[in-house]
Amino acid sequence: MTTAAQHEHDTPQAFEPFGPRARGFLLRAGWIRATWCTALFFLVGMFIVVGSRAIFDMHPVYNWTIITLTGALTMAPLGFLTGIGAFDYWFYWISGRPTREEDHSGHGAKAWPDYFRINTDHKVIGVQYTVTTFFFFVIGGLMAMLFRAELAQPGLQFFSSQTFNGLVSMHAVLMIFLFIIPAFAGLANFVVPLMLGAPDMAFPRLNALSFWLLPIAGVMFMSSFLAPGGPFAAGWTGYAPLSVDSPVGSMFFNMGVQWAGASSILTALNFLVTIITMRAPGMTFWRMPLLVWANFTTSLLVVIATPFIAGSQFFVMFDRVLHTSFFVPAHGGYVLGYQHIFWFYSHPAVYIMMLPGFGIVSEVVSTMSRKPIFGYRLMALSFIGILILGFSVWAHHMFVAGMADWLRVPMMISTLLIAVPTGIKVFSWLATLWEGKIRLTTPMLWALGFISMFVIGGLSGIFLGSVPIDIHASDTYFIVAHIHYVLFGGSVFTIFAGVYYWFPKVTGRMYNERLGQLHFWLTFVSFNVTFFPMHYIGLRGMPRRVFDYSNQFGSLNMIISVASFVLGVSTVIFFYNMITSWTRGPIASSNPWGAHTLEWQVSSPPPIFNFDEIPVVVGGPYEYGVPGARHAILHSAPAAEEVHA
Amino acid sequence: MSAHAEAHGHAGEHHGPPTANRSSRIDATTLGMLLFIGSEAMLFGSFFAAYFFVRVVNPIAPAHWPPAPFHFPIFVAGVNTVILVTSSFTMHWALQSIKRGDRAGLKAGLVSTIALGLAFLLTQGIEYAHVGFNPGDGAFASAFFGLTGLHGAHVLIGLTLLTIAAVRAFRGHYTPEHHHGVELPGIYWHFVDVMWIVVYVTVYLL
Repeated sequence: MTTAAQHEHDTPQAFEPFGPRARGFLLRAGWIRATWCTALFFLVGMFIVVGSRAIFDMHPVYNWTIITLTGALTMAPLGFLTGIGAFDYWFYWISGRPTREEDHSGHGAKAWPDYFRINTDHKVIGVQYTVTTFFFFVIGGLMAMLFRAELAQPGLQFFSSQTFNGLVSMHAVLMIFLFIIPAFAGLANFVVPLMLGAPDMAFPRLNALSFWLLPIAGVMFMSSFLAPGGPFAAGWTGYAPLSVDSPVGSMFFNMGVQWAGASSILTALNFLVTIITMRAPGMTFWRMPLLVWANFTTSLLVVIATPFIAGSQFFVMFDRVLHTSFFVPAHGGYVLGYQHIFWFYSHPAVYIMMLPGFGIVSEVVSTMSRKPIFGYRLMALSFIGILILGFSVWAHHMFVAGMADWLRVPMMISTLLIAVPTGIKVFSWLATLWEGKIRLTTPMLWALGFISMFVIGGLSGIFLGSVPIDIHASDTYFIVAHIHYVLFGGSVFTIFAGVYYWFPKVTGRMYNERLGQLHFWLTFVSFNVTFFPMHYIGLRGMPRRVFDYSNQFGSLNMIISVASFVLGVSTVIFFYNMITSWTRGPIASSNPWGAHTLEWQVSSPPPIFNFDEIPVVVGGPYEYGVPGARHAILHSAPAAEEVHA
Repeated sequence: MSAHAEAHGHAGEHHGPPTANRSSRIDATTLGMLLFIGSEAMLFGSFFAAYFFVRVVNPIAPAHWPPAPFHFPIFVAGVNTVILVTSSFTMHWALQSIKRGDRAGLKAGLVSTIALGLAFLLTQGIEYAHVGFNPGDGAFASAFFGLTGLHGAHVLIGLTLLTIAAVRAFRGHYTPEHHHGVELPGIYWHFVDVMWIVVYVTVYLL
């Protein structure tokens, strides 16, 4: 892996200009080079396929579907990354040219075009991540509104059944792989190095590569709408053998997951190394903010589990392209194997989508209640508990799939056990709130909304974790209600909490509080009107992933659809608030919330290398109201924070 | 890594970052490589899981492995095992050489490791051509080509890393103090070697 080996010491040549060579516009790293490199690599990919088909005597040599797909899904993305400049430094290094590991030529953003380049600054990358993911959030949300329009009445009104299935699948895939998971990575990218007292991530260039892998995955998923036979429509779970036999659009899913997965593995690796090796002096593990703990455990989950979804999608592709029979029973394959391997990633993925949110909410709740977090160590340990238990519950997605009977009860028990560490967290937040000086700012509203909605989602999770109820409720709208209470009421609410909480830090400006509160209340109400009735219609027997349904569910579905459109409109308020506040909002102070963690002790936005001197950590991060308590000493910063202590 | 700030003495040019605190004795790049290898091991895990499903869990799993008319070339693959294990020793030789400052030993060790790796891949290619079945011949073949193919791909990645190390070695890089560029591909190469022993035992011997 060249990426990890990048920091070789070179023969010192102190007065050489090490930065990129001056070049003409075609060869300069950027969008022009990315365009022609993408095209070139696409052609090379085609050539490789045609060449190997000719060598191995396969007929027809020119199978345009295979040729185009290989070019577009494997080689063209590499061309894009090469062109945009993700590999430049490593190419120099590989060829033995003099390089300087402390090369800051691509660091920091002075103007908005710098956000559209390869950038090694974790703060710029954090913004790149967050903005990109919200772009896909909008697309995924619009798709949800499209199929809610279809579902407003029984019968088929707007789409073909295939398009409907495609919209549902794409909505889930974009929201999971292009919004929730990377949005947390983006927020953490901005905040974690600051919280640790580090000048940047451990591997800044790898960090840039991780980000640029992400839009590739997004574009790949969406371009499956252009594939012959329509987009992938087997659901975001892409169960074999359906996904093996469906039109080639599902290849876009198979490969898109690989690019998104590579992105999250590399980011997670980067977080782990940063957290382990770059903490400021005095920042012991027991003094780390809970957001850092959350990202530490999440990253472990990502590094360990993500290869399994890569494997599952490889097998599906092999079954399609190489005619293997991993999931073909007629040739000795084992169909359920797909679900086991898939869920061995995708259940831990649920915690990948939740633990960073727990971290954000811990920050917000403690700061906004002006109290130390209740049971800090147990909060941290419960992350570890969820991490370990998370790997032992995957088959609760398969109670009705026909798997071995003896697996059911152990999986049920381990599933219900997860309520223990999760319950510790919920009760700790409540105890933190207890008799606190609560400030109901927008991030706090989202955090409180999260706690209440997540408890509802958790309770329906206990229902579904119990084998007898799951058998009844499987594949109904009850599941849809549950997943949206934990992923929307859970994860998305925490993302909003985080975005509002760190908005003044990231932009140096304050958002509009009234619009923020309006956004929260409109979302909160319409979210509940949208998803709460789904519990009922699910238990009454309406199956999920259908475009047509029994007339008895008609009026409730109409209410759900109308509410979902209100939910969509509430997001417009959010974007209006973000855009206008970012451009014209009032200048924010460096620490508007009076928080103790390190990111608030530097200017807003933070200086290019975060700190002039590495701070010294002398206490816990949440000692609000404790006389004389300090989290860290910054030598050159004004010590103005005692006012809030 | 921002850990080493402006060591080259041109501080007047721009204000560099403060030197990051090193909060762990383990070197950042080594830790990164170890985590990456952990992730790679899990990818192998998913392929072993598929193998396990096909051969053990599946109610219609074949009684004999591989099923009746087919054989795995245990001997050829055994020779290949010897080749790959040997290459781990030559890799170790290369690393020990540069630690002593022996540049010739470093180059010879890297070149012979690359040669042995290529020999392994070539043998595997010939084995594939003469094995008597192809990926379409049933789930046992899927598991066989899946695991050995995944491993072959990793040998290729390892060879790429070693080639980069060799290019830099021949260009005069690496010193007894600074040789991460040899050490890290070496760790990866040993991982690939160990993985092959696991693959060989489970697929061919068991």
